[in-house]
Amino acid sequence: MQAEHGGWTLSDASRFAELCLPHLDSAYNLARWLTRDTQDAQDVVQDACVRALKYVGSLHGNDGRAWFLTIVRNAFYDWLARNRPAEVVHDENDTVDAAADLATPGPEQVALRNAELRVLGDALAALPAQYREVLVLRELEELSYKEIASIVDIPIGTVMSRLARARGMLQRSPVLYAIGGQTARSAP
Amino acid sequence: MNCNDATMLISAYADGETDRQQTRTIRQHLAACPQCAARHEQLAELRTRVRSEVPRYSAPPGLRANVLASIDAARRSEPARVRITDRWRWLTGGALAGCAATMLAWFVGTTVIAYQENHDIAMEAVTSHVRATLGNHLIQVASSNQHTVKPWLSARLDYSPPVPDMEKEGFTLLGGRIDYLDQRAMATLVYRIRDHTIDVFVCPRAVRMPPSPTRTIRGINVAHASGAQMDWLAVSDVSPDVLSSFVASLARGGPTQ
Repeated sequence: MQAEHGGWTLSDASRFAELCLPHLDSAYNLARWLTRDTQDAQDVVQDACVRALKYVGSLHGNDGRAWFLTIVRNAFYDWLARNRPAEVVHDENDTVDAAADLATPGPEQVALRNAELRVLGDALAALPAQYREVLVLRELEELSYKEIASIVDIPIGTVMSRLARARGMLQRSPVLYAIGGQTARSAP
Repeated sequence: MNCNDATMLISAYADGETDRQQTRTIRQHLAACPQCAARHEQLAELRTRVRSEVPRYSAPPGLRANVLASIDAARRSEPARVRITDRWRWLTGGALAGCAATMLAWFVGTTVIAYQENHDIAMEAVTSHVRATLGNHLIQVASSNQHTVKPWLSARLDYSPPVPDMEKEGFTLLGGRIDYLDQRAMATLVYRIRDHTIDVFVCPRAVRMPPSPTRTIRGINVAHASGAQMDWLAVSDVSPDVLSSFVASLARGGPTQ
């Protein structure tokens, strides 16, 4: 009732412009890390915007960011199923890292790929999607566990364990030792 | 607690996302277990490196233009649909309207107060931040030099806002602009940290400030602090804890030397 009161005079386009558009960078950043490609990320965000414009009337409450990012994430997984069905991961197990093999590379390419892991961003990009997304939402978008839980649609406890595991994977990545890896011992 | 259980909690503890009970447990464990204490330190190091080395991508201008175009298209096709919806609401909503009128009368006192509290300067600041970000008029004077920004602002206002150098804490000054907030022209400083833009509204202590120091409005965080002469209001999508310590530091006059 209250939400309706708030949305009474605003058209869907205006609501979208007001609630979602300010978070276009967040949306693109998430899509860019999920697709790992500039053009694909733009396609996913465009699709998400079309959906958001259509359903923004049903957005009760004010958290346009989490709502919009949820749609971007859904748009990504639909895009993945359409374009790279082999990478869709149904298993929650960490042994399934099919999503990491972007180009289904042969042994040579694997060697090349490992050699290409020069920067920390590459190590993040190489993580399976379900670990990558929570890390991006936490470290780059600086969202709370509660917000991440609602975007990814998992319990807070799972956010906790996925983040811990994702960080473990990142720490085991050779990149971390390859470049400097100096410990800055400063007080927290 | 064994070290296996601790691994997950350490990560959440480093994020400030453990409850009181968990925090106590993990602190005890960290004090007793040097291995896990080291792990905790490595996590802090990892975070620093991720946040400084991994890029946060911004939407390309072409994408932004396309999205704006689709909003325009949606706006143009809207009026007819809105009218139909309104008529339906009108026809079916008679009884509801009666109820609503009664409820409105009932709650009028508290609602008006709540509305005013909600509609304070924090709300205005968020609106102004959003408008500036969308319309590309975020910065009127672009300079990372405080000695350029300060005189520019002072010349256009009836007060002289301090422009602290926050580089030491990782916040880069991008410039400033004059914004209209709380029915007056107000100095607005623009800083950046890790690809997040922060608007800081600065004014002498004479305006209504939000009752709570930090709030989230439409997914955008607002933090407020009072200094010796000025009030500071920071608006950004950076995390609330970063924003509130930033604004507190500004109010103190910048990083302690």
